[in-house]
Amino acid sequence: MRKLSSALIASTLALAAALPVHAETKIEVLHHWVSESEVAALNTIREALATKGYGWQDSAVGGMSGGNMQQALRSRLAAGNPPGAMQFIGWEGIDWSKEGVMRDLNDLDKANGWQATIAPQVLPFVKNGDDLIAVPINMHRQNWVWANKAAFDKAGIEQPKTWADLIADGDKLRAAGIIPLAIGDEPWQIQVVFDALVSDIGGPDFYRKALVDLDPEALNSDTMKQVFDTLRQVRGLVDDGFNGRDWAVATGMVIDGQAAMQVMGDWAKGEFLAKGLKPGSDFLCFATPSETPSFQFVIDSFGVFKVSDPEVSKAQVALAEVVMDPKVQHDFNLIKGSIPARTDLGVDDFDDCAKKGFEERATAIENNAMLGGATHGFAAQPQFSAVFSDVAAQFFVNEMSSEDAMQLLVDGIDNAR
Amino acid sequence: MAIEYGSAARSRMIGRTMIYSGLIGLAAFYLMPLWVMVVTSLKPLDEIYGGSFIGLPKVLTFEAWAKAWSQACIGTACTGLKPYFINSLMMVVPAVLLSTGIGALNGYVLTKWRFKGSNLIFGLLLFGCFLPFQAVILPMAQVLGRLGLSGTIPGLVLVHTVYGICFTTLFFRNYFVTIPDELTKAAQIDGAGFFRIFFSIMLPAALPIMVVSCIWQFTQIWNDFLFGVSFTAGESSPVTVALNNVVNVTMGRKQYNVDMAAAMIAALPTLFVYVVAGRYFVRGLTAGAVKG
Amino acid sequence: MARKKSIADRFADWLPRLVLAPSLLAVIVGVYLFIAWTGWISVSSSKMVPQYDFVGLEQYYRLWATPRWHTAVANLFIFSALFLAVTIAVGLIMAILLDQNIRAEGALRAVYLYPMALSFIVTGTAWKWILNPNLGIQKVVNGLGWESFVFNWITQPDFAIYTIVIAAVWQSSGFAMAIFLAGLRGIDNSVIKAAQIEGASLPRIYASIIVPMLRPAFLSVIVLLSYISIKNFDLVLAMTNGGPGSATEVPSTFMFSSVFRRNQMGVGAASAIMMLMTVAAIIIPYLYSELKEGRDGH
Repeated sequence: MRKLSSALIASTLALAAALPVHAETKIEVLHHWVSESEVAALNTIREALATKGYGWQDSAVGGMSGGNMQQALRSRLAAGNPPGAMQFIGWEGIDWSKEGVMRDLNDLDKANGWQATIAPQVLPFVKNGDDLIAVPINMHRQNWVWANKAAFDKAGIEQPKTWADLIADGDKLRAAGIIPLAIGDEPWQIQVVFDALVSDIGGPDFYRKALVDLDPEALNSDTMKQVFDTLRQVRGLVDDGFNGRDWAVATGMVIDGQAAMQVMGDWAKGEFLAKGLKPGSDFLCFATPSETPSFQFVIDSFGVFKVSDPEVSKAQVALAEVVMDPKVQHDFNLIKGSIPARTDLGVDDFDDCAKKGFEERATAIENNAMLGGATHGFAAQPQFSAVFSDVAAQFFVNEMSSEDAMQLLVDGIDNAR
Repeated sequence: MAIEYGSAARSRMIGRTMIYSGLIGLAAFYLMPLWVMVVTSLKPLDEIYGGSFIGLPKVLTFEAWAKAWSQACIGTACTGLKPYFINSLMMVVPAVLLSTGIGALNGYVLTKWRFKGSNLIFGLLLFGCFLPFQAVILPMAQVLGRLGLSGTIPGLVLVHTVYGICFTTLFFRNYFVTIPDELTKAAQIDGAGFFRIFFSIMLPAALPIMVVSCIWQFTQIWNDFLFGVSFTAGESSPVTVALNNVVNVTMGRKQYNVDMAAAMIAALPTLFVYVVAGRYFVRGLTAGAVKG
Repeated sequence: MARKKSIADRFADWLPRLVLAPSLLAVIVGVYLFIAWTGWISVSSSKMVPQYDFVGLEQYYRLWATPRWHTAVANLFIFSALFLAVTIAVGLIMAILLDQNIRAEGALRAVYLYPMALSFIVTGTAWKWILNPNLGIQKVVNGLGWESFVFNWITQPDFAIYTIVIAAVWQSSGFAMAIFLAGLRGIDNSVIKAAQIEGASLPRIYASIIVPMLRPAFLSVIVLLSYISIKNFDLVLAMTNGGPGSATEVPSTFMFSSVFRRNQMGVGAASAIMMLMTVAAIIIPYLYSELKEGRDGH
């Protein structure tokens, strides 16, 4: 009997040692990453946090592009029960900080010199006034074209240099029996194309004027008409079965050669790599074609809420340190398909597409062509950016003239002000 | 005569054939989505991404079911639906019992112990059935926070009970109206009190409507997503929230076979209730619910 | 002694009210107080979090100047009207057919009822595939040799709302069937016998005698289906997420996205109040007649 109980105790101890999480403070992290690759990337943070002696308590709420998560957060805050930390995209962190519920990370920032490692264009999304309120973990680029090399060869086309080329290539692809562009009818997928067109046709300054400053003149300009006209032509590249198609299904169509191209952020890359395809020889990745190339970024950052429990408060510090840790950023992004948010890290062991993105980011920073991806909330506030996705999506699926679409834009923005 | 008899039999035959083919045709329509879900859950993922959505699986595998039950990851917690399934059970049983019990008492008072204003109270309760729940999430969250029930299963039980009593009261009230008042009056003369009459006369007679009320509440509460996602977090989530997290992958490859298997696992209790208790359901409705 | 008894009596008098009190309290807080709160927010400038100021009817103007809201309102009416009509028709037909001494009635009944048990979070995906022209019915029918067959409503902004109706009918008609079946079983068989002896045909008997006798069942079905159609939320999210474009937006999805995705809490609250007013316009007359009837019957 004694033997049994001592064996039990020993195994319990062993178990406790194997799972240090149980004994220590846990920090609850609200996030909307629920897919396999996202979770695998997240585990690098979780493990690094465990070595600092803190547990990670998961609160994942997927769906609605983070809409469900926002709902969960709002009711948590209304109940006075905020989570320890949260994943933010777009203006979310700043908005909550303005409500006074976020804790600042200024001391850590000063001690570690974090701000110097973050691209200046990203800072507005993690800084409220002088306070650093969130730490960015990664940077995705939204305006990529993913293409099937074999399909390009079959149709006898090269990487297009402009959108006009790309649209013209559509005919050759169709003649070869290939769907030129794979896309779904979800408004955000359409808006990804729209965002790309705005800066590819109008240039980065026009993008800022239209999508960030919401200048009515820009929204009602000839350039904007050209954007919609081109979007109408892009519609012609798409097959009929695009309703309710997930972006990953669309990527699958490019992978198996049913379709030639997809305009999508670099989270799509994981799909190609998972199939063992090689960038350059099996599939191509290039920025959406333009004479004024831009880098439309999407970052994920973690912010921490004001909490009363001093232990959790210590865990928040540990989490922030882990997120900004060079090794964690490296490992995380290697899995997630993005590049590190820190600009001072090398990407030598990343794939060719990531390297390309990394280089083009440096050029874009120089040329002032770093733009926040409007689709994912990195341009105007959500009530405005939603107007763009409404209009772009309605225009795309309906018979609507470019003029009407522009009018809808202007009215919609006015109404949301 | 014989000919006439034959034609009558034939027309009867034709009638029966039409009835059966109508019923079977409808049944096929009803089973179509279930078919899609079942075959998808039994296919390997590559076959689905290869474009086969509706046909029979070429390779039969139960892996998706095992994965959905005990391995699928929700965030970094790879526990499958199992723990959330148990959460849902812990939520649904008390919530159904409470809301049905309270509904029965309410219905009893509203029909056999009417007082001035009782009709108005019934009206107020009934209107609550039609409240769009999206509108009450934020104030409800504040109330739950004050009560210290935020993010807990008892909190969810409370919410479901509050919004459930509207419907259960309606069910029981409409049922008890059909029980003659003379019965309770006679019991009162015999000296039976309020609760005595309820437990020994009303409740035994209310079995059919109890079944209806329980089935309705069970389905509503088990399938609820909105309250679950608003008022719980992480480990205390009900199964529908976990299912949503499995299914709604934001940026990543959808595992359709696991999604479908997970959906069916999440639906098993309600399916079970409908199939087993379906007979009593119709009987219960017959016994009074529809006599409004 | 007498005095004590009178307290007990008084307690007994108040007991029914006491029993009802918790429910009343819960509903006053959980329904009416919260409606009042929503009303207040709808006249405030609330964006991301509640603000308790007063801006008059600004949010209502904003709401009615939003094209998506017009789509949502129109869709609610199209959806509700079609959904109620088709569900009632299908439910009634199924109930009548099932009432003809059918073999395997239990199994068929279970088949018709099971959709009610499933959550739309995923049956929506199954429907999405079935209705997708490149994956579902159209592809199957084309494959069978009918090449020109087209069924692509879900891709057409003008028709997508009808596909939502199809799925909603699928989910709820079994329930309507159950209530009608219950109503039919409650009708005395001698009525049918008597009519048959007088030489009336079966369809005629149903049309002119039995269906009118199902009035209470109709009322219950209409109330429950109205409830379902106003709350219609999961279904739209799962099948079309309001698309293509915003063609299948309904008031509940509009409200949800205003409050939780677009930081327009004031507009969301205003839309909730509009919904409540619509519900009140339908339900209060029903309640009134229902309660008046109850009084007459007493």
